[in-house]
Amino acid sequence: MHQYRMYWAFTRKAFLRSAVYRFDVWSRLGSNLIFLLMWGSIWTALYAGREEAGGVSFEAMLTYIVVSQFLSGINGAGTPLWEIQEKVRTGDIAIELMRPFNVPLRYLFADFGSVAFYIITALLPLYIVLFIFMDLTVPASWLTWVYFIAAAFNGFLIRYCIEMAFGLLSFFLVETGGIEDIFYFAMSLLSGSVIPLWFFPDWLEKIAVYLPFQGIYYIPNAIFIGEIFGGEILFSIGIQLFWVIACFFLLRFVWNRASHKVIVQGG
Amino acid sequence: MPIIEVENLRKDFMIAKRETGMMGALRSLVKREYTKKEAVKDISFSIEKGEIIGYIGPNGAGKSTTIKMLTGILVPSDGKVLVNGIVPYENRQKNAKNIGVVFGQRTQLWWDLPTIESFELLKEIYQVSNERYKKNMDTFTEVLGLNEFLNTPVRQLSLGQRMRADIAASLLHDPPILFLDEPTIGLDVVAKEKMRTFIKEINQDRQITVILTTHDMEDIEKLCERMVLIDHGTKMYDGEIALVKERFGKTRTLIVDLEESKQRPPLTGGEIFKEEGSRFWIKFNRDEVSASDLIAQITKTHNIKDLTVEEPEIESIISKIYQEGFQDLPDTVKV
Ligand SMILES: Nc1ncnc2c1ncn2[C@@H]1O[C@H](COP(=O)(O)OP(=O)(O)OP(=O)(O)O)[C@@H](O)[C@H]1O
Ligand SMILES: [Mg+2]
Repeated sequence: MHQYRMYWAFTRKAFLRSAVYRFDVWSRLGSNLIFLLMWGSIWTALYAGREEAGGVSFEAMLTYIVVSQFLSGINGAGTPLWEIQEKVRTGDIAIELMRPFNVPLRYLFADFGSVAFYIITALLPLYIVLFIFMDLTVPASWLTWVYFIAAAFNGFLIRYCIEMAFGLLSFFLVETGGIEDIFYFAMSLLSGSVIPLWFFPDWLEKIAVYLPFQGIYYIPNAIFIGEIFGGEILFSIGIQLFWVIACFFLLRFVWNRASHKVIVQGG
Repeated sequence: MPIIEVENLRKDFMIAKRETGMMGALRSLVKREYTKKEAVKDISFSIEKGEIIGYIGPNGAGKSTTIKMLTGILVPSDGKVLVNGIVPYENRQKNAKNIGVVFGQRTQLWWDLPTIESFELLKEIYQVSNERYKKNMDTFTEVLGLNEFLNTPVRQLSLGQRMRADIAASLLHDPPILFLDEPTIGLDVVAKEKMRTFIKEINQDRQITVILTTHDMEDIEKLCERMVLIDHGTKMYDGEIALVKERFGKTRTLIVDLEESKQRPPLTGGEIFKEEGSRFWIKFNRDEVSASDLIAQITKTHNIKDLTVEEPEIESIISKIYQEGFQDLPDTVKV
């Protein structure tokens, strides 16, 4: 239990620290809004005045994009990956290795703090206004809201583990070259962050369904707009939980290898 | 029972050759070429509880590398390390609770948090009780004058302030062992002196064992009775500082101001190596001739207005050892 007090201390500190960097919050919110406008207009153009496409109404599709941008705001509010990579490169990470805590867990809890701050002060106010002034689908049942929040949280954990594990690969590669771009492209496509999985060609959808990325955006989004419903909801959340665990072990494995490399090779 | 034991410690760094471009990156996944750098070759020492050891050597000698192995953030290539009965790299987190560390070159505090918040975070990390925390903070605040900058973010602290904050932070959890890697680097004379007093005090009051690396021989002289001198990753000397001074500090300098400087005073046993007007610098070996002997010789022909005898500083002794090696070191001292 003492352990948890320690990790919560990181959450609290990160929350307070975010308050110091208010400008950061505003600029991030600005770019979030720009991407929202961009994807909103692209999908408006693609629907070209039609009421529905692929069995999904325009209103639901627009909601999908708005929720997706909301989640992307959450997923982007933690410690930036480059900061950790930089610590690895400069050897500053050694100082964290010298402390009696688990490093990935410590960053996760710190992220909880900065994300909470960002949600409360920026994301929620903006998106509440958007939902009030736009014609968007809102879950009718409170249970759907609960499922959505749970799914969004799982998605956050999956993304955290995958992104961190990938970021730590920089331990093993002298230069990551273009691999990083490919990774981020694949992640943004396969997670369904901008194109829902049901618009994918069959073969790509099959691939996406068997990968963890869909748990980040597609599942919570689809629950929100009611595209996943009934018994399917719990099944999807079950799949997410599976990936949370799998990705957690992946991260742990990569982290152990990486930190071992640091302590063998020096910072 | 020594609190720190190091036996035949070795650390080789494998430095990867850089490959460029995407193909290079992929290739380096499969196979990479390395060059080997022996940072620490063969070092052994043991330290008893409550000692302050000066761990010195020229740049690149392997001091920091040794300290890192003692903290567990580097795995030795060979040899044995025991810190308070724990093998650091096997049990890093447990070892962490027994040690305090200050790397003068980089802070361990959170860069953008106000200093006090770094301390609060460390309190939680090391699970320091409220009572203990308050007591330590009171002491450190008073002795190190922390309150002038407790609310300033670490990145805005001056070097001296940062160093004070860092050493206080390293001691919050009452570790029995303290590693100080250049804790006085970049400090002004007064700040250095304060730092030394503080180190001395915590060593005496709390029986904390200290390993100190530094390039400032005054630190060593004021704080340590024993020093371990290394070069190129091997131990050159391990023992009392007084003994080094004794062996290497035989040369004295006699400085005399004479009334009439027409000619140099004739001397046996001493050598004039510098003169400026009527002032002469005379080098002599304490074992061969005494200062009073020389003075007596001079007064036969000249009147002495003023005189001083200078002992060599440990600083110049060490720099001589760095430059010339230990060749002329008597066997009794050589390790
Ligand atoms: N991570 C590393 N990778 C490769 N070589 C390293 C690494 N760390 C240190 N070295 C090399 O090992 C040798 C010893 O370095 P170390 O930092 O221990 O020296 P030092 O005695 O602390 O010197 P200084 O007084 O300059 O701080 C140096 O030649 C250094 O270049
Ligand atoms: Mg060093």
